[in-house]
Amino acid sequence: MLHSLQLRDFRCFGQTSLHLDGKDAVFIGQNAQGKTSILESICVLLRLQSPRAGTLREMVSFESNEGFFIGGNWSDRQLNFGYGRRLKKLSVDGSTTRKTSDYLGRSGHVVWMGNGDLQLINGRGEGRRRYLDFIGSQIFPDYLSALRCYERATRARNNLLKNMPVPWAQVDAYTLLLVQHGEVLLRRRTELVTLLQPWVADAGSSLSRSTETASIAYQPKAVLGTLARALEESREADARRGQTIVGPHRDELALEIDGHPAGTFGSEGQQRTFALALKLAQARLLAERDDAEKPILLIDDIFGELDVTRRNALLAYLPEDSQKLITTTHLDWAEMERIECDIYDVKAGQLSRHQAS
Amino acid sequence: MPRIAYPEPILRLISGLKSLPGVGPRSAERIAVWMLGGGKEKADAIAQAITEAREGIARCEECGFFLLQENPCPLCSDPERQGDTICVVEQPTDILPIERTGAFTGLYHALGGRLSPLDNVTPQDLRISPLISRVQKRRVSEVILALGSDVEGEATAHYLAGIFREKEGLQVTRLAQGLPAGGGLEHADELTLLRALDGRRGMG
Repeated sequence: MLHSLQLRDFRCFGQTSLHLDGKDAVFIGQNAQGKTSILESICVLLRLQSPRAGTLREMVSFESNEGFFIGGNWSDRQLNFGYGRRLKKLSVDGSTTRKTSDYLGRSGHVVWMGNGDLQLINGRGEGRRRYLDFIGSQIFPDYLSALRCYERATRARNNLLKNMPVPWAQVDAYTLLLVQHGEVLLRRRTELVTLLQPWVADAGSSLSRSTETASIAYQPKAVLGTLARALEESREADARRGQTIVGPHRDELALEIDGHPAGTFGSEGQQRTFALALKLAQARLLAERDDAEKPILLIDDIFGELDVTRRNALLAYLPEDSQKLITTTHLDWAEMERIECDIYDVKAGQLSRHQAS
Repeated sequence: MPRIAYPEPILRLISGLKSLPGVGPRSAERIAVWMLGGGKEKADAIAQAITEAREGIARCEECGFFLLQENPCPLCSDPERQGDTICVVEQPTDILPIERTGAFTGLYHALGGRLSPLDNVTPQDLRISPLISRVQKRRVSEVILALGSDVEGEATAHYLAGIFREKEGLQVTRLAQGLPAGGGLEHADELTLLRALDGRRGMG
């Protein structure tokens, strides 16, 4: 539960604070007023990364140019994240944490739901890998470090493969790192998809109230235990292409509706439902893994686009007692009596309590 | 109106100081002004110390550690040290912490960095061929790789292990990873514990 949030020089916000006391909240405002940035700041505070693509540097407000600060009272601890001059300063309850993993280990879990989620279904594999990575790094202690090392080693290896002649002794040194970290990713992703699958199917049928079955399947380029051999076999092809062509960075998460690929065969409505089902599955899985601290749900501007039935089905399926923060441009869909919440107006980087008109 | 600026020698001093590691433009300016004012005598002493260190200090051709010009290396020429074990480190400064443990009595070899294709550091930029010839020349039975545990450090370790793999009777080892000494489990983060669990060993 997020009790309070403090922002300084984050995106369009100067000095802002928000007292939620762990309650649900709705943020109303026109476009480009800062609604999404509030949710984004919470995601950055808790996970140190943004659901929107982009670097931390871009999140510094134009006025400041120096850096930003996000603080928040999560559950029973105060988390602070300061960023400036390419330096990150993390602290929990006032004591500085040097290692990112220490900080993330004491932070909270996050589910982000937004309009971009449709890309999970009809976009490129990269988005689906990022979906797995975002959950994986929240539930497995070794996931994020393996991912970062794997990515860095892949970049270095690709860089070496572009040399002529290829310096194989160096490439092979990186191949060993790719295997070491890549096998961790393969094992964890396999485990993760198995955990998610029943929730995806369940959420899909609750949302669509139909008999069709949504299913997900992990399709790695090289399966667990075979990465070393696959990399060995693709040496020549790698050298020709100047890049590493097998490994977890090419994995796919197959999405199917009744056995047909959702991205090509699903109607727009089915695809939207599937995208929601993936995020609901994430929410339920995170809630199930940590009963004491439910994930916070950051729901960005999707309620207006759903019909009443789906909206209610969605609200009903969210894990109980998890805190929901919702942005919207208009409140006329407000069957908000379903959620007891505070309502805020967001205008030009200013937050105020909503005045009923 | 003419723009007022520092005279040329001061500007040169500031730009020189600015190029030092960890010194920004504002600190450089402050130090320069201090050197010309209150810190005058100290500045002279520092200038002299820099010249003496530049002229009087050399690197050992063998291990890469600092030594006084014309003098034998206190590490490599010590007859008490075991010549059949070489501990490979990234920087000469990494030798001191290992030496302070008092547990290692072999020889050292500082590479002068680690491989990093992304920063354009290749094997030719490091003291790798001197290491190979040292291992060939002496009867070395163990090479200990005491490199960093980040991606570049590990890649360098794998690269060196690959080179020495073929050599008969030579054992290549690396430092263990795991729990900090003297700490309870509750102080270790999950990742450290996981590594420690992976690297567990049998008892008795």
